[in-house]
Order: sequence, then structure tokens, then C-alpha cells
Amino acid sequence: MTAIVADAVGFSGALERAKAGDHDAFAELIERHEAMVYSLGYHFFGDRSRAEEVAQDVFLQLYRNLGTIESDSHLLYWLRQVTTRRCIDSARRTRLKAVSLEDAGELSASTKSPDPFLDRRLRQYIEDLPEMQRAVVTLRYQEDLDPSEICRIVGMPVNTVKSHLHRALQALRRKLEKLS
Amino acid sequence: MNLENDLRRVLRRESPPAGFAGRVLERIEREPARKPRAWWHAAAASVTLAAVLGGYGAYRVAEHRRGEFAKEQVLTAMRIAGEKVKYAQEEVRAIGSHD
Repeated sequence: MTAIVADAVGFSGALERAKAGDHDAFAELIERHEAMVYSLGYHFFGDRSRAEEVAQDVFLQLYRNLGTIESDSHLLYWLRQVTTRRCIDSARRTRLKAVSLEDAGELSASTKSPDPFLDRRLRQYIEDLPEMQRAVVTLRYQEDLDPSEICRIVGMPVNTVKSHLHRALQALRRKLEKLS
Repeated sequence: MNLENDLRRVLRRESPPAGFAGRVLERIEREPARKPRAWWHAAAASVTLAAVLGGYGAYRVAEHRRGEFAKEQVLTAMRIAGEKVKYAQEEVRAIGSHD
């Protein structure tokens, strides 16, 4: 987590300039955080076009709310929170069922996994998790956040987050054991 | 098999397709009227609210003044009536003393 937080610190110049209306500075902020925002959407939906749509909406919302962002660490927290909540709300509205096999295969190839088949199954199992468990697992393993940090993002008590995480890992283990 | 390591690998960050920032900026450019319109809405709402509150305040002041004026009129009428009654009493008393 330290690396990811450090990655976001030290760009206050860009934030201040973006707040003053500098579009180049706002583009710089997007480029700093686009992988994080896009990946949260992609791992949640398992769908690249859906992830792009959510990520664009998040940055558009950021543009309209730049005045409320106090610092770079606040920006990072804000982006994680807004992206996660948008993903959960969108999934609840549409009950979208995700990924095509080609998309999953493409991902596996690009990760250079020792076991592409396992990765594809694991992704499928993550997508089968209930929305909140999926969000918690993504924040835990993509963003390397502790339950105490995740609970602030999803607005739940820390014990509830731990419980979601525990249940998600149990479900994933069970399915992978059956597979092997 | 280590599930946590597998999850970290599968859920690693990925970059969006090239040109993502440009596409976001294009959407921002396509919606330039949104912010000024929001400002105008806020300004118009403020002016309307100020007018309504100001009008209500002026109405309350006018009502108060009307009330004060009516009170004054009632007191004046009572004072005049009192003087008339007093005059009538004195007249009656004068007629009685002649008898």
C-alpha cells in the first residue's frame, strides 16, 4: 500500500493548477490515476467498455467537484470511494453479468500468468461474488488496502468489511478446490 | 497454491486503452455549459430567495405600521369619546344645580 499511496503524493502542483482551471494539469491528474480507476471498474465488471464508461464518469464527476478536493491523498481516497460506489450502484441497477471469454483470455495472456486457465477461472469466480464482496476483494488485492481503510471507502463498519472479505475468500477457496 | 498471491496477480492495475485522458477532456469540452448554467441557477435562486425574504420583511414592517396607526386611531377615538362623555356629565350636573 505504501507504494500506491506514495505514487499519488507529490503532485499537489497539478491539483492546484487543475483547480485553477488548467486543463493540462487536469489531464496530468487523469494520467496519474486512470489505471487505478479503470482497473477498479474492470475488475468489478470484467468488461473493458463498462470499465471505460465508469472511469470517464468518475473523472467527469471529479472535474465538477475539484473545488472540494483538499489534497493529493484526499483525491486518491475520493477517487477510490466514488469509483467503488459507482460500480456497486451500477451493478445493482443493471445486474450486469460480465465478461466475455475472449476478454478474459486477453487479460490472462497479458498478465503472463504461470497458469492462464486458473487466472481465467479465478476472475470468473470473483465476478460471481455478490457486489459488496467483489468490491472489498478488489480494494484489498488491487489497491492493497487494509479493512480499516476499506471500511471508510465503502461506508461500513470494519467488522462488516472483514466479514465480507472472509466470506469472499472462503467462497473462492471452495470453488478452486472443486476445480482442482 | 496461494490464493492471496493469485488474487494480487489477477487483480493487478491495468491501464485503460490509449487516449483515455483525451476522451475524458473531450467529454468535458462537450459539456461547457453545465458549470455556468449551474452558476446561473444558483445566482437566480439566490436573487429569488432574497426578493421573497425582502418582500416578506417589507410586508411585516408595513403590517406593523398599519397596526400602530390603527391603535393610534382607536386611542384618539376613545379620548374624544371620553371628552364628550365628560362634557355631557358636566351639562347634566349644571342642569341639576339650576333646579
